[in-house]
Amino acid sequence: ILPMVAQGARHTPPGKPNVTICRSPEKETFTCRWETGYDGGLPTTYSFFYRKENSETLYECPDYKSSGNNSCFFNKDHTSVWVNYNITVVATNALGSNSSDPFVVDVAYIVEPHTPENLTVVVLKKKDVPFLRVSWKPPRNTDTRLGWITLIYEIRVKLNDTPKWEVHQAQQQKIFNIFSLHSGGYYMVQVRCKPDHGFWSEWSPTSYAKVPDYIHQKWSIWVL
Amino acid sequence: CSYGQTGCHVIPLADLFDRVIQHSSRIHGISSDLHSEYEQYFVPNKNHIGRIHHNCHTSTIQTPNGKQKAQKLAREELTEVILKLLVAWRDPLWRFHQNMVHQEDFNHFSSNKSLEMSNMVLDLRKGVEKVADRLQYLGEISNSLSGRFSPDALVPLTDSSGEPRAMSDHDLLYCFRRDSDKVQNYLKILKCRIVPENGC
Repeated sequence: ILPMVAQGARHTPPGKPNVTICRSPEKETFTCRWETGYDGGLPTTYSFFYRKENSETLYECPDYKSSGNNSCFFNKDHTSVWVNYNITVVATNALGSNSSDPFVVDVAYIVEPHTPENLTVVVLKKKDVPFLRVSWKPPRNTDTRLGWITLIYEIRVKLNDTPKWEVHQAQQQKIFNIFSLHSGGYYMVQVRCKPDHGFWSEWSPTSYAKVPDYIHQKWSIWVL
Repeated sequence: CSYGQTGCHVIPLADLFDRVIQHSSRIHGISSDLHSEYEQYFVPNKNHIGRIHHNCHTSTIQTPNGKQKAQKLAREELTEVILKLLVAWRDPLWRFHQNMVHQEDFNHFSSNKSLEMSNMVLDLRKGVEKVADRLQYLGEISNSLSGRFSPDALVPLTDSSGEPRAMSDHDLLYCFRRDSDKVQNYLKILKCRIVPENGC
């Protein structure tokens, strides 16, 4: 195709789009996103198509809106787990179209949960020595009570004026005690979660706790 | 030592569940490792990523592929699906291990893993059968389950001439990784339905 030249601009068919990522927050719905290529200087539309494993039927994206620009959202009715989705995005303008490379995804392996909620840190005392009790809730949209999704947690703690976080594995617990604190220290705490095989959530917003001054504490050792 | 007997220590149901769930989790871990090792050895170019069809011999077993569908299944049906999947993998995994022993380019380590995986699936099946026995004894599931999951019950995939269709090793690892994830997930659902107070 010869480039069409109008008012000094060079017009071409669209560049190749690229499916970049698919993620599911709770193993019940998922979203895929794509990057656009060059639009060829013309109004360009993008169509998202998919085929499900062992089926020849070609479907178009059920919902272009819910997850924002250049995305496709699959609600519960359109989401199957342990089934491959073969995805292609087609860019089209007045001069032609261009297809992305196929992108294959199984929802079982793309779960990235939302961040845990209600992170609470309280200072408790055991034999007059303070410790932090950190507790949290799973993200609201994940159904951990049914066994459909299992989350493990990681918490990190640091003194407000130090650069280094101390990371603790909480496994499936939703409550965690931290001992050996600096007397008078001001602590920052965050938590994140991950399904069995999937991705870590973002770290939660920070919760703070001020440890009261107490005696016989020279340096801190982190003990479970 | 039978359940009713006095002075007989019985492992709590929740612990039995935890054991089979942990075991299935390890199996899934090994199958994932083997699958990626296999891809490194035998599928060096990444073209296979575009592949979507896999000949899973277990595709004839109806398995719920969403939360709602899994929720709708009765406990008996869920137990049965788990056992069907495990029974269906006994022979293919054993044959796969035999193949691996003779594969010189696939390393020794992976061959051992394939044997371990094959044995672990046998153990897991025994474990799940124990759980199912206990559930029947406790009246948590009906007795109609027994005898309904023999390997003969599984219809083998056949090609157009009616011959059993062979799964490629790559498909086998792919399919088993998926099925072992299903087994683990269904076990967790069953556990949370029957003993919800323990970590659900």
